Amino acid sequence: MDSALFPKGVKRCPTWQFALWIGAVGIVLLWGVYAMLLCWLKGLNQTNMNDYYGFALWIWADLAVIALGGGAFFTGFLRYIVGKDELKNIINFAVLIGFICYSSALLILAIDIGQPLRGWFIFWHANVHSMLTEVAFCLSCYFGVLTIEYIPLILENRQIDRVPFFHNLAHNMHEVMAVFAATGAFLSFFHQGSLGGVAGVLFGRPFAFREGIFIWPWTFFLFTWSAAAFGPCFTIFLLKITEKITAKKLVKDSTVWLLAKISGWMMLTYIIAKTIDTLYWLTVTAPAAGYGAGFFYDNWFYNFGWLFVEIVVGGFIPALILVSEKGRRSPGLLFLAVLLGVIGVSVNRWVMVLQVMAVPVMPFDTWALYYPSWQEVATTILPVAYGVILVSLSYRYLPVFPNEMELNAAPAQAEAVVDEELPVQAAVARA
Amino acid sequence: MEMNARQHKFGMVIDLDKCTGCGACMVACMAENNVPFKVDETNKRDSITWMRVYKLTNGKPYPEADACFLPRPCMHCEGHAGHSPCVSVCPATATDYSSETGVVSQIYTRCFGCRYCMAACPYHARYFNWWDPVWPDGMEKYLSPNVSPRMRGVVEKCSFCYHRYQLAREKAIYEERDEVAEEEYQTACTQACPAGAIVFGDLNNPDHQVARIVQPDAHHHFTGHSKIAFRLLEQLGTNPKVYYLTEREWVRKMCDQYNFGPQAAGH
Amino acid sequence: MKLDRRSFLSFVIGGAAGTALTPLPWKLTDDLSIWTQMWPWTPVPPDGAYSYVSTTCTLCPGGCGIQVRLVDKRAVKIEGTPGHPVNDGGICPLGLSGLQLLYGPSRVDGPLKRTAGRGAGRWTPISWDDAIGEVAQKLAALRGDGRPQAVAAISGSGRGTFSALVERFMTVYGSPNLMRPASAADACEMALYRMHGQQAMAGYDLENADFVLSFGSGIIDGWGSPVRMIRARSLWKERKVPLVQVEPCLSNTAAAADRWLAVAPGTEAALALGLAHVILSEGLYDYNFTAFYSAGFEPWRQMVLDGFAPDQVAQITGIQKDVIVDLARQFAKARAGVALWGRGRGTTPGSIDEAMAVHSLNALVGAVNRQGGVWALPEIDYIQWPEAEMDATAANGLQTARLDGAGLEPHADARSLAHRFFTAVAEGKTDPVEALLVFEANPLYTQPDTATVKKALDKIPFIVSFSSLQDETSAYADLILPNHLYLERFEDVAGPAGLNQALIGLTQPVVAPQRRTRHAGDVILALSQGLGTPVADAFPWESFEACLEETLGDDWDALVANGYVARPVSLPHWSSAFGTASGKFEFAGTYRPAPLEGDKGAFPLVLVPYDSMRIAGGTAANTPFMTKTVGDEILKGNDMFVQVNPQTADSLGLREGLYAELSTPRGKARVRIHLTQEVRPGLVAMPRGLGHTAFDPYLAHKGVNVNALLGPVDDPASGLDAAWGIQAKLAKA
Repeated sequence: MDSALFPKGVKRCPTWQFALWIGAVGIVLLWGVYAMLLCWLKGLNQTNMNDYYGFALWIWADLAVIALGGGAFFTGFLRYIVGKDELKNIINFAVLIGFICYSSALLILAIDIGQPLRGWFIFWHANVHSMLTEVAFCLSCYFGVLTIEYIPLILENRQIDRVPFFHNLAHNMHEVMAVFAATGAFLSFFHQGSLGGVAGVLFGRPFAFREGIFIWPWTFFLFTWSAAAFGPCFTIFLLKITEKITAKKLVKDSTVWLLAKISGWMMLTYIIAKTIDTLYWLTVTAPAAGYGAGFFYDNWFYNFGWLFVEIVVGGFIPALILVSEKGRRSPGLLFLAVLLGVIGVSVNRWVMVLQVMAVPVMPFDTWALYYPSWQEVATTILPVAYGVILVSLSYRYLPVFPNEMELNAAPAQAEAVVDEELPVQAAVARA
Repeated sequence: MEMNARQHKFGMVIDLDKCTGCGACMVACMAENNVPFKVDETNKRDSITWMRVYKLTNGKPYPEADACFLPRPCMHCEGHAGHSPCVSVCPATATDYSSETGVVSQIYTRCFGCRYCMAACPYHARYFNWWDPVWPDGMEKYLSPNVSPRMRGVVEKCSFCYHRYQLAREKAIYEERDEVAEEEYQTACTQACPAGAIVFGDLNNPDHQVARIVQPDAHHHFTGHSKIAFRLLEQLGTNPKVYYLTEREWVRKMCDQYNFGPQAAGH
Repeated sequence: MKLDRRSFLSFVIGGAAGTALTPLPWKLTDDLSIWTQMWPWTPVPPDGAYSYVSTTCTLCPGGCGIQVRLVDKRAVKIEGTPGHPVNDGGICPLGLSGLQLLYGPSRVDGPLKRTAGRGAGRWTPISWDDAIGEVAQKLAALRGDGRPQAVAAISGSGRGTFSALVERFMTVYGSPNLMRPASAADACEMALYRMHGQQAMAGYDLENADFVLSFGSGIIDGWGSPVRMIRARSLWKERKVPLVQVEPCLSNTAAAADRWLAVAPGTEAALALGLAHVILSEGLYDYNFTAFYSAGFEPWRQMVLDGFAPDQVAQITGIQKDVIVDLARQFAKARAGVALWGRGRGTTPGSIDEAMAVHSLNALVGAVNRQGGVWALPEIDYIQWPEAEMDATAANGLQTARLDGAGLEPHADARSLAHRFFTAVAEGKTDPVEALLVFEANPLYTQPDTATVKKALDKIPFIVSFSSLQDETSAYADLILPNHLYLERFEDVAGPAGLNQALIGLTQPVVAPQRRTRHAGDVILALSQGLGTPVADAFPWESFEACLEETLGDDWDALVANGYVARPVSLPHWSSAFGTASGKFEFAGTYRPAPLEGDKGAFPLVLVPYDSMRIAGGTAANTPFMTKTVGDEILKGNDMFVQVNPQTADSLGLREGLYAELSTPRGKARVRIHLTQEVRPGLVAMPRGLGHTAFDPYLAHKGVNVNALLGPVDDPASGLDAAWGIQAKLAKA
């Protein structure tokens, strides 16, 4: 029915099946929208946030998706600036994931602030000393860049492309894409860093506070570095899931291995830096503020296990897998590594947001634990559902994967969307 | 220098040995500053109390147990050269450190509710309006016109009753005086405290009682001169302008966070 | 159309720049943001002319001077009056939040008549004329019947003109059954009456004391005049005056004291006598006073020396012998040591033996009627009304026995025994009570054993409450004739509790009445008119205000201007100081261990109530602001925690936060457990003042009323309620 909109020469599932899929995810989306409207109309009392947890699940989700969306800027940087031409096969997908991540992040922020309409004041009454100001500016600008990067892909839809104006527009945009990729890389460097700075500058919160250089705490650099390292992981992770669901090979192995290798080396160097940072913080920075290392992990929930998961399980292990040629070439190990990487960076962001809130600072205070309300969970899943829909639509109607045709030349390869796999995808994509 | 004389640094010293934990300061503050209340205020992490009195216990078994009350207003941290933990993080300049008075202000109509300042404040002195403020029918009659009630979705906190300073200054200007006298500007909690445990005034003015008690040492990060004086979480470097006094060593050791780390022995 | 790169870029950049350069998008966005600053549902308090009115707080017997800040005609803030002899600018949480009562949702709108079963909360508004008419008719009928004594009244307004007016009304009407809610003041009065031979109140010269020994008195927890006590304690801190607190649990006072003696509960009197033993045997007492101004010293001395040697007392109290000896020496050697008694806030009378034992300790060191000691202050005598004419009906009615037994053998020196009134009525052992008038009291909440009070009220067919607020008793009344709130009415406050000054405070209207209320004094005047001669003749005043102005005479103008007048008090000359038969101070007081109610087998623990400045436990109930200050280790949601030592909890398998059933012989309640080392093992501590069922949603149904679990215990030596706790049981719920 809608086959006229498909990219040239590819096979897509029947319309009814696609509609069913979109419908199922759409229900989750509507649930999230309902929760979002509750938060806007009734206020943030709909959440379980409180005066100890001013930052909670949403801010973690925000930081996590921005880190994971880092694949877009870093792949763009490698492709356009470093000149890794091979990566052109995955750049569209990376941009798409980035676009989803960043639009989600902005949406979450709009729900998260108590007076959403006054968000304008960040720009109008900007405080240049605030990391969040830097985040807001760079995030908004970079979202603009991602939009510009995503538009040509839309314009390449078979029907739109027929209009000469759009065809030319897309062509011209491609021509200048290196400029935008550079801009994107520059902006990303700052807002990823500023997000790290958000926690790192909190000298009143000894769990978060890090010393640094000039105005930037070490977390500034660690966040940028980790986004560059783990972002591509997430791109590969989603690629593998998409390939599984569509039962097609979408990107050449050589491309994936290249990206995995770069990601692996970035991860390894990052996690070494992170380890040094952690040790310095635990032995120098925190004690100077009057806190012993054991203090921060002296809780049944927040214990040293978190540190182990973040640094070893989600850091060293995936990094070592990816830097070894054998590791990244084994489909199973590759998937394990990107999965652990995604978990590792998410744990890092979790800890830097939620554990910061949980650790008592005043000596007579107690650990503050919190669990999110359903409204928070729903609004956090909302972007996931939105992302799934956008990936599905893009995959169906846009030439996201330039090699798809050649990689799936054999006509016998029938694609299928199996119902049982739907929840799996939703669940994995959430991470 | 004429200008220097006008640089105030309003601060507070609270004598914990006089404090009885009666809660008058908390209520005085709520009554003065149009602080709202809900049917259930037992979730203390969602209960707006600009001034909150904490109960500290020494952890010893009966009958060695001891308790101490610690009132906690906003500390109006000066940080390093006005970089208080919260002011520097606000993206919209909705909170500001006044170098003229040393007061950390909060502009409710500017705040858009990102709560970054709350994350930055180690004292939990900042409160978010999770709910619309609602007064039972007729009770809005007692609301003071000097402090605007806050709308849902913004952060609020102790202002050292800044409106009282403004009123006192207006009066002084009207009466053609240069300065607001010590007794003309006192916070509501100071005024109400039945124990006289709170002393408020200008730390920069050696004639003020608060400055005489504290004698902040400008060369050592403004720590108090007295051996029984301390500041809450002194080691974080927030440089608060609320000082505490107590003869009880266990309270001092607990509160200034010198119980761990290199300086532990020396203090 | 051909679009090259150049024109594309010009198009995009030009378009974007063009739009951005117009003010439109920026202005619109800014306007939208600014719109969110003016949401119509967030109130904007109107400004106006500022002024202050000085008046006196009557929410407790403390008598603090307050000044109310007005903006035009709105009262916006209550502050303490600087320079006031009681509170000098200080003020307590309850006093501060009085405006929440004034403008709050628990006000009674106007006269109400019950339309459904008692306590069902169904009322119909009636006019003041009908309301007064109905009461007058009922009272006239009973009087006509020759049974004026069947009308009882309970008045909690303390001493002052209104109180005198109620008393006069009951007298000329012909009923002896006027009671006041029980408090430590009852025992204090009685102790002074027995030992000084005077109707007087104790005034403590605490500002001049140099050693303070408190037998469980909540010095900073609401005892006496709370703000004055807190101020005095700060003064002691400055002057390094030691405060020693004798108390089983670490109350705020104990924590604030220089020394806390964790005494076995109920043995305070033994400790007092143990101290006396040391003082006597070491000859540290005041020879002059004991020799020349006291009587009964020898037998009392012998009693102490025989029975209260420090090692014996150490056994009883759990306080080490050398601690007792040491403390006794310090107390006796102090220039101006003074001992206080009356547990916590002084809500219950307690044992008269204990009161007298402590007072004897004061006498022993010469602290009676001395600077820095305790003075017997006769009531201020400004209420001088001509004797009222009484008819035979009244005379006959007054001849009948008081239903509470006060003033009759064996309790001839008791003036009011409210707990016995309710018990007697509930048990149906008295002549029927046909009507009960309740002024400024809430017995259904504040009396121990509320179930019995309720049973008593059920037997009284006509209950009239004059409460301004919807309290438990008015919710159970037949008619509510709401009084003005204290910020809307005139009243005088004579001699604040425990103060050693003759002080009269004036309460005056700060704002116009906010509801359809009427001054209870005016209502009494109207009732007396309704009853006709001779009752009406005893009340020649056209209004309560006129009555008050006449009564206060020359002081009136000063009172209106300043809110108080202070009269100098001079200590009486020794020759006229005591009204006893001997003309001297009579030593008395001993320790007789009084068993608590309940079987120790079935109820192995002891429930003890405690008082907190953040919880109003009496007739005045918590305001929303006060309840907001209550910690989450006391109240969480509607659940209340009892405070238990971990040792006690361990033995019962209870942990922090668990639900438990607390039962006593008088009732049971579902509570939660909070573990604390501040409570003595074996005790269960519970705050007074929660568990209201009336008032507003900000207070009702939060926690448990400890009075529902407690019961009165008659002190054989006084008839007063001597209970300080009750046997109790905790079990996992």
